[in-house]
Amino acid sequence: MRRVLLLALRDLRLEVRDRSGLLSLLAFFAVMLFIMALALGPEEAPLRRAAPGVLWVALAFMSTLLSSRAFALEVEEGTLDDLLLTPGGKEWIYLGKLLFQLLLLFPLSLLALLMAAGLFYLPLERGLPLLLTLFLGVLGYASVATFYAGLLARLRGREALLPLLLFSLVVPVVLASVRATAGLVEGLPVAEVADWWRLLLVFDVVYVTASALLFPVVLEG
Amino acid sequence: MLLRLLGVSKRFGRDWVLKDLDFSLERGEVVALLGPNGSGKTTLLRLMAGLLKPTRGRVERLGRALLLSNPPAFHRHLTAREHLLYDLAFHGREGDFAGALRRFGLPEGLPLQAFSSGMKKRLALARLLLLSPEVWLLDEPETALDAEGRGLLLEVLKEARGRGGVVLATHDRALAERVADRALTLGEA
Amino acid sequence: MLKAANPDRPDLLTWVFLALGLVLLPVGLYVALSAPPDVNQGYLARIMYLHVPTAWLGYLAFFVTFLYSLLYLFRQDPRYDRVASASAEIGLVFMGLALVTGMLWARPTWGVYWTWEPRLTTTAILFAVYVGYFLLRGAIEDPELRRKAAAAVGVLGFINVPISYMSVKWWRSLHQTQSIDLTTGKIHMAPEMLQALLFNLLVFTLLYLGFVRFRGFLAALEARREEA
Repeated sequence: MRRVLLLALRDLRLEVRDRSGLLSLLAFFAVMLFIMALALGPEEAPLRRAAPGVLWVALAFMSTLLSSRAFALEVEEGTLDDLLLTPGGKEWIYLGKLLFQLLLLFPLSLLALLMAAGLFYLPLERGLPLLLTLFLGVLGYASVATFYAGLLARLRGREALLPLLLFSLVVPVVLASVRATAGLVEGLPVAEVADWWRLLLVFDVVYVTASALLFPVVLEG
Repeated sequence: MLLRLLGVSKRFGRDWVLKDLDFSLERGEVVALLGPNGSGKTTLLRLMAGLLKPTRGRVERLGRALLLSNPPAFHRHLTAREHLLYDLAFHGREGDFAGALRRFGLPEGLPLQAFSSGMKKRLALARLLLLSPEVWLLDEPETALDAEGRGLLLEVLKEARGRGGVVLATHDRALAERVADRALTLGEA
Repeated sequence: MLKAANPDRPDLLTWVFLALGLVLLPVGLYVALSAPPDVNQGYLARIMYLHVPTAWLGYLAFFVTFLYSLLYLFRQDPRYDRVASASAEIGLVFMGLALVTGMLWARPTWGVYWTWEPRLTTTAILFAVYVGYFLLRGAIEDPELRRKAAAAVGVLGFINVPISYMSVKWWRSLHQTQSIDLTTGKIHMAPEMLQALLFNLLVFTLLYLGFVRFRGFLAALEARREEA
């Protein structure tokens, strides 16, 4: 639906204009990577081994922050009501918010990968498979994060629940993404890593569908 | 009949804000919603819009309802033009928003954080006119409007009458008497 | 299954389940303790008679929550939500017991309290999901939104289970062969042990049914008080 794209673009425009949000996200990520590198280094081997895990944990935190931002803006301005009064089913709001996050998270995760490569001695030869892993993993995480962030947005002061609710559900995503990344970096053949990709794909399809369908239900009040 | 409430009651926690309310709205009607602060006017409007569900009773609606909140909600980093553009698209409609902005005396390219509260009210009215629902719900639209703004409000109400039905929550008795066909009063009942 | 209209006291079936369960509990204990020791683990294996039933019922309880959450989403009847919530609560207790007994079993067997074994890890994840379920319920004041949100989490949380399990299994597998291997149907135990296990499973099932019905009854009372 066209609305999905427009909502994502509108939010993107808003985010870009209100630059503080994006910058703090990026800064947070950089600092986190830096601290982890300091904590786990300075030898090359342990850093390289820890890198996939650190990368995905940092991405998880970033995605969590971003998802609550996606809705916090609406609640702040009171504009969520306007979205709710649009005609038709409300699944498009979920998909639009999800797309918005993906449009931000993909370039950010790319940047993250580069940063991790630099700080953690991560080899980057197999670019395309790594990109695929990033895509599948980020999509999986964001799909659940968007759902919960939307649900919690209307409950004042309950944003603290978001990581709690989120982390238990996204275990498969984090596990699979880390394993796939580690496998690729260690030089495993694609066939072996593909198992993890399949798992991520299943998760993504299941959770994007389920969340989109359930989202309108929990938006009503 | 555009809107009907049957035995509607609403409770927040332990407080009953609305109890056993029956109401109906016909096409072409303007109903004033009166009552002191805290009597539940905003809650009732939100119930009519469908943003809240009643604790008891039923709300039936034919067609779309839109709510003009007090104060109206906008994204401060968008311009008026962008806002209307997106809103129209989300509602699947087309409209001459440039013309609307001109009519309401509003600048196209200024971010909304630079708007005064009166200007925001006008923009909200323009938006309502462009989106043209069947049920028009206005929550104290007269606040912050200057004389010209009030003139625009009266025009909007007149046009709304032609396109659907209006419920107008207000503290301004004179306005109510001027535009409304009947009134519903909330409060200590 | 568990739908009473507007009860003033728990119905007969509830009392029957509870009574039967509580009476048979010591019997189950006796049967468990008089069963022969395991070939490999000796008397230690007896913890299985507590661990396996509680784990089984924990998963069953969450499945019931999943089912009734779906039912609520389709039918909007508050009774479904009460059953879902009651089952989740009892499920949490059983799950907790399963985790604790699992850890107590692991320590003497493998020397560590925790291993990243697929089933144990998945159980822990599910436990966390349902703790979240109750935190969410507690955070929402509006009863209808609470029911809807809880139902959504009940569904999303459960469909996670197979995916989580597969992910952890691929990630790491070092668990011993299961006492009742669900995939091949082979049983690695003496017949008396199996009987003891199944008997205790029955006892705990009765207790589960009784507790869930009773909890559901309490929830109905709470709801009635809220309505007033």
